[in-house]
Amino acid sequence: MTLRSKTLRTSLAMLMATLTIQQPAVFAASHREAPITALDQKADITDWYTFVSPERADKVIMILNVDPFLEPSNGPNYFPFDPGILYEMKVDNNHDGVPDVTFQIRFKTEIRAPGVFTGFVGNLAGIPAITALDGAGSEGFNLRQSYTVTMVTKAGSQELTAGMNTYAVPANVGPKTMPDYNGLRAQGVYSLGQGVRVFAGTVADPFYIDLGGFFDSVNLRKAAGGGVLPAMAEGDDQHNYAPNSLAGFDVNTIALEVPISMLTSDGKVHAAGDKEAVIGTYGTTSRHKTTVMGDAGAETWAQVQRLGNPLINEAIIGTGSKDKFSMDDPINDAQFANFVLDPLAAKILGSIGVPVAPAPRTDLLLLVQYAAPICPGCGAGDAGPVADLLRLNTGIRPTAFTQQKRLGFLAGDLSGFPNGRRLGDDVFDIALRAVAGILVDGKKYGTPLGDGVNTGTAPLQPSFPFMAPAYSGRDSVHAGPGQPGCAYYESGICPSL
Amino acid sequence: MNKTLFASLALIATVALAGTPAENAIQKAQAGLAAHPNHVPYLNSLAMAYARRARETSDVAYYAKAEETLKQSLAAAPANFEAVKVEAWLQLGRHEFAKALETATRLNKQMPDDVTVYGYMVDANVELGNYPDAIKAAQWMLNLKPGNVAGLTRAAYLRELHGRLPGAMELMQSAYDSTPFSESEDRAWLLTQMSHLSYVSGDLAKAEMYATGALGVFPNYHYAQAALARVRSAQNRHQEAAALLQQRYAAAPHAENQFAWAEELALAGRKDEAAKAFAEFEQKSLAESMLGDNSNHELIAYYIDHANQPAKALEIAKREIARRQDVFTRDCYAWALAANGEYEQAGIEIQKALQIGVKDPKLLYHAGAIAHHLNRPDQAALYLKDAAARNSSEAAVLLREQSQTAAR
Repeated sequence: MTLRSKTLRTSLAMLMATLTIQQPAVFAASHREAPITALDQKADITDWYTFVSPERADKVIMILNVDPFLEPSNGPNYFPFDPGILYEMKVDNNHDGVPDVTFQIRFKTEIRAPGVFTGFVGNLAGIPAITALDGAGSEGFNLRQSYTVTMVTKAGSQELTAGMNTYAVPANVGPKTMPDYNGLRAQGVYSLGQGVRVFAGTVADPFYIDLGGFFDSVNLRKAAGGGVLPAMAEGDDQHNYAPNSLAGFDVNTIALEVPISMLTSDGKVHAAGDKEAVIGTYGTTSRHKTTVMGDAGAETWAQVQRLGNPLINEAIIGTGSKDKFSMDDPINDAQFANFVLDPLAAKILGSIGVPVAPAPRTDLLLLVQYAAPICPGCGAGDAGPVADLLRLNTGIRPTAFTQQKRLGFLAGDLSGFPNGRRLGDDVFDIALRAVAGILVDGKKYGTPLGDGVNTGTAPLQPSFPFMAPAYSGRDSVHAGPGQPGCAYYESGICPSL
Repeated sequence: MNKTLFASLALIATVALAGTPAENAIQKAQAGLAAHPNHVPYLNSLAMAYARRARETSDVAYYAKAEETLKQSLAAAPANFEAVKVEAWLQLGRHEFAKALETATRLNKQMPDDVTVYGYMVDANVELGNYPDAIKAAQWMLNLKPGNVAGLTRAAYLRELHGRLPGAMELMQSAYDSTPFSESEDRAWLLTQMSHLSYVSGDLAKAEMYATGALGVFPNYHYAQAALARVRSAQNRHQEAAALLQQRYAAAPHAENQFAWAEELALAGRKDEAAKAFAEFEQKSLAESMLGDNSNHELIAYYIDHANQPAKALEIAKREIARRQDVFTRDCYAWALAANGEYEQAGIEIQKALQIGVKDPKLLYHAGAIAHHLNRPDQAALYLKDAAARNSSEAAVLLREQSQTAAR
């Protein structure tokens, strides 16, 4: 063999040698799933929800939560959205895995009084308390973000916020600055016409899970059954039997309420038995990118993350593929199908003695294709490509807010995950059981797996945007092991072991 | 002299003498292996460091060492990912592009997040002429790790191949800006590419500036010697150009480097030396002609432009085009067809080469000359003017002839 020295082509390969790129080798934390996404906190999607509104049965709610583990007291700037990020909600309505209706949300930041030391001030130095997002009472709302919502379909794009001032609701700084935070927050719900409503801002993170127990190599609390819930915990949707790692943390949310008729392929509302009733959704974050063949000045975007079904990237996709998965489109998901058909998580459960259905796990394809029971109207030819989309049958009536069950579909509450995903659905427990094989055989593989965290710490609300208001920064606390937060136990103290 | 200043000057001198990046990497890996023999990550680092040293010195013995180290690594841990990566890299070095693509594709399925593997996919696809696949892989490099130097340089080369030279320069510049100062060879390499881009854009002054800059960063760097020689030749300073190419050939004694030197000797009017060098080149090149890593592009040019044996040129060109369909191989094939009087077919083939928009002076000159033979004077003039503006002296000559004929 001889060494060629002339061509650029081969020497490019050699340049690679000197610029060693580190392999992502660590298993990332839950709200920090893919190694590269974990480096981009602002673009990190924590959760994606889609459900028929229990408040108005002719509307679908889509919620994109980003920016994990926001400590409510973390001033002075708190938690603005990133104006460099394109936030998108995408809907496939003809079962081809490609979005047909997309909602794009972009933010702009204004610093209204550059000399003031903090983003938010009130009841101080002649500045009144912040009681409004705009006009009188908003003087101390210094770091303010406005945003636009644009709907993109094949027919073109339409800015739904045209001619309006829509502001993101800031974090709850505390009672002196924002004496009526709930009233302030209510002003952040905007009606955009055509039956669409939107809310963007900081809220109490509705997700709940015992992250510490899980990520210590599945070392769940013995007091909560060590991963297999005792009957009392299993049947209790109101209390926690293990510490909720998200307790006391905020998250940034964009919530959209859209008429079902704007999302279906034919603009109609369908009965549950019609295949047209079923849509597939996901949320994405993107940043400007270098395009290999790009023209100067053209705006192109690189997807940083996407989220369809909860925990797919965290629990199913191998670490060596997590970034590719995050940045690719659902239509290309066949390349990851093996992770679904033979999930490592199932092997881990098997290794700790949980009965697990054997691979290949075609039962899990339900999460990535259009099929019964979510789409009873879908025939064999309607399954579409393997694509990680959160599938929602818009024809299934929403369960009343107070009647919802945390185990959703598994508990016979058909309007819950995996038929879409509601804020209160215990996706961790559901996903563990699905991975074990409850969909194959509920008796044989129906171990009541769970972490013992059964409810969010700040109560959900019955009306849009449904999530609890942000925690007060001045009074912020978290509930960890050995601290209050588990009402069932003596003095409400959460177990450590 | 001020003591502190003296001390820091001494320190700079020590650093400068401490060895090239590849030498340092070899030492580090060897030290690791001395403490932990057969430790796979050290073996992989050593294999890569040898391969890197091979580029620095052009000494093929380092390639053999890399292969040997790789074998040890694969014996210790069969099919270990990093070792297979080095293997793909060596396959590219051996110009086994189809094999390299296969290896890289397999690695990519195993770990779709590995940016380096995408780099190998780009390289193999570019060499094979699969440009859309190359663009896709390069885009993944930039998506997965925005701004990474290896991705930027590949995207720059793809832009160049598609004729987007200012865009290519922009990316090379940002690659240069993100390369650490200590990586002297990488910086020299990037400057050499910027010299090349300036040259094919017709900016001789900048081409000279970047080439001399590269030689300043990494003295006697053989790639940069070639880039500067090209500038000197265009400036009609053929003796200087020949001297540079002689040095380059001494440092990197490959057939194609000897060919470039011989061509320059001929231009410098040193006919006997040129004839001797051409004859040596032919022997050397023929000996490797059937291997993957060959100098067939130069051999084809030799038989057409210097030896007047067009039939031989076409035979080799046909073999090459069956193996890879990149724009440069297509150009060789078209030029060989033209040399054999098959102008119609040559016209079709050169159009295939130019289709993606490449703006290389040699290709444009060939396109102009073929159009000239096909009696398409307008088309010929267009190509020849473009080539002449990019420092092709042959194109300038033919253009003058053409306009004189037209005047008569």
